[in-house]
Amino acid sequence: MRRPCTTTAPAPVAVIGLGNVLIGDDGFGPTVIALLRAGWEFPEDVELIDGGTPGLHLLAAVHGRDALVVIDTVAGPGAPGEVRRFRREELTALPILSRVSPHDPAILEALAIAELTGRGLDVLVVGVVPASLAMEATLSPPVRAACLAAAALVVEELRRLGVPPRLRLDPSAPDAWWLYAMDAR
Amino acid sequence: MATRLTIDPVTRIEGHLRVDVVVDGGQVTDSRVSCTMWRGIETILRGRDPREAWVFAQRFCGVCTTVHAMASVRAVEDALQLPIPPNAQYIRNLILIAHGLHDHIVHFYQLSALDWIDVTTIPKADPAKAAALGESLSEWPRNSRQEMRKVQDKVNALLASGQLGIFQNGYWGHPAMHLEPEANLLLLAHYLQALEFQREVNKVVAILGAKTPHIQNLAVGGVMNAINLDNVATINMDRLWAVKGHFDGVVDFVHQVYFPDACALAALYPDWFRYGAGVRNYLAVPDLPTDGASTAYDLPGGTIFDGDLRTVHRIGSPRDAWWRDGVTEDLTHAWYVGGVQQPWVGETIPQYTEFQDDGKYSWVKAPRFQGRPMQVGPLANVLVGYAQDHKLTRKWTDLALERISTGAGRPVTVDDLQSTMGRYLARAIRSAMLIELASKHWEALADGIGHGDAATYAPPTFPKGAVEGVGFHEAPRGTLSHWVVVENGVLRNYQAVVPTTWNASPHDSNGHAGPYEASLLGNPVANTDKPLEVLRTVHSFDPCMACACHVLDTTGRTVATVKVL
Repeated sequence: MRRPCTTTAPAPVAVIGLGNVLIGDDGFGPTVIALLRAGWEFPEDVELIDGGTPGLHLLAAVHGRDALVVIDTVAGPGAPGEVRRFRREELTALPILSRVSPHDPAILEALAIAELTGRGLDVLVVGVVPASLAMEATLSPPVRAACLAAAALVVEELRRLGVPPRLRLDPSAPDAWWLYAMDAR
Repeated sequence: MATRLTIDPVTRIEGHLRVDVVVDGGQVTDSRVSCTMWRGIETILRGRDPREAWVFAQRFCGVCTTVHAMASVRAVEDALQLPIPPNAQYIRNLILIAHGLHDHIVHFYQLSALDWIDVTTIPKADPAKAAALGESLSEWPRNSRQEMRKVQDKVNALLASGQLGIFQNGYWGHPAMHLEPEANLLLLAHYLQALEFQREVNKVVAILGAKTPHIQNLAVGGVMNAINLDNVATINMDRLWAVKGHFDGVVDFVHQVYFPDACALAALYPDWFRYGAGVRNYLAVPDLPTDGASTAYDLPGGTIFDGDLRTVHRIGSPRDAWWRDGVTEDLTHAWYVGGVQQPWVGETIPQYTEFQDDGKYSWVKAPRFQGRPMQVGPLANVLVGYAQDHKLTRKWTDLALERISTGAGRPVTVDDLQSTMGRYLARAIRSAMLIELASKHWEALADGIGHGDAATYAPPTFPKGAVEGVGFHEAPRGTLSHWVVVENGVLRNYQAVVPTTWNASPHDSNGHAGPYEASLLGNPVANTDKPLEVLRTVHSFDPCMACACHVLDTTGRTVATVKVL
């Protein structure tokens, strides 16, 4: 059930998939969101967001929440397709850089700004190490294979937060048009 | 002794803005601006159905999602000469206004304010004086001493903890920061309040667009919002009032906080009217159409050359020959094959070389108007309107100039706006105008519906053979245009000429620098290790590298490197 549009407070828990679906494995986050929507039903206290690459506009999705689950690609050590988890403490320990464009990834800043408003957010980042960031609307085989594992981690986290989703008995195909777009042309 | 300073925040991941400046004698003497990622994302659209192009286009850029979607449907409608129902126009306009306001508020406070306010002086501020300063600026009820004290306590706690969080990389104590502690405190209090209001106005996009950040309600031919006052799943009176409620919720913030803050900042940093003019040719397109055929607009468009407002030439619609024939893209210094191209026949074939100061050095093409570099953005928007005696533009611009002149103790004129500070101000002026226009367009929509007009969609039909179209939008960062060629119902070519390519463009075949590059020349730099002044000018354009990808980097990085020449 959609929340009525006049509600002023956002759902306390946001699950946000970040990344550009036109840039290869960067589309991981939005794909996992599509997979979650297709396979599970979520309680009203959880909002699923295909966030794209919002930069500092991520603030609109973060402000006023109690907990965040972020699905993203991560650079750093690990083989392509490897799923890595980060908690708030690990993220806030990372250096925040001077911002040149509103476009630079802004999770760290959005969290730091949320701290300023006095809310200690409960945060989990579920990240995948990408294999390819070429300009095409598709996921590489190892990253495609990691989507279900990432979705399971999100579900596990929502259980821990006390807002468990229910498995759909009649799952639909994930609405991830970008994965089919290249084949359809 | 000259030094070369390279500001390149992301050294390992492609897709970002790189700024190289040569600093000699405390000021910038040469500059190169580069985008480090291939920008040929439009080629993904060739061969596709023009009716679905906007779904892809809205993923070009994660910050400017709705604006690309809008330019895309407008381009196809222009190719088909397809008028859309007025309701659809108003619904689109309300989304564009909300998006623009959200973008401008976040830019001023979260993206830029910390370039001007030194947070580390806040413990020294007297909250009562900060409250008095606030009261001298406007009626805003949340400038109280208690509010200032609360914010000060928060900052004190943060500074005492040694974990600076969002303030960790500020250039604190920099000689170019010189506000009194009370002004810093007041502006930081507004920085925190702004977080509530950016979210408030963004709700309009969520209601009308069905989702945010990627709206779902567009269609070539109108919008997919059904209007039925008796049906809860469509646009009904509840939703209309909710939209109005969210706009009303930000009116006071824009008029009593953002606008006065921008004027106060300008009055306190009047030197910044002397820097950053750069390219003094301006381009803005008209926006917020008031009829279905897009022939009349609430925001005017036009061009100005050489900083002379008397040269203003009106652009009345996308069918205006002055506009259609004026735009080209110059590839001389960009990593693409080719010379100067008109967008409808434009190609995007990569030809990468190393970074060559006098050769190719950027993935950004260089758009030109009648062969000349143009500055786009809210400043162009304001100047073009002011030069044409546009009432609403005059009203808010004159009010801003009056406030700043009083505050600075010397006359500040419309010509002073051609500067780094002018770009910050223009965004606030434009926001004040947009929130006024929100009421007007909401009333027009409600009126139409009240009179029984429920039309929101006019189905497109595609002719045999090839047709060309251009869709434009005066986006938060300036003139955006999508150029399409549709042949037998399929996209044969698609080029997006985006605001940041106008502004961040490299040199062209005539050796003319792009607006960012030109604006940095003469910019002061007190300390090359802390290039705060360069960031002020770069941030004044609100750069947005279309199609950047998003990878969370969990390894350490550096921002600037300095090399002695």
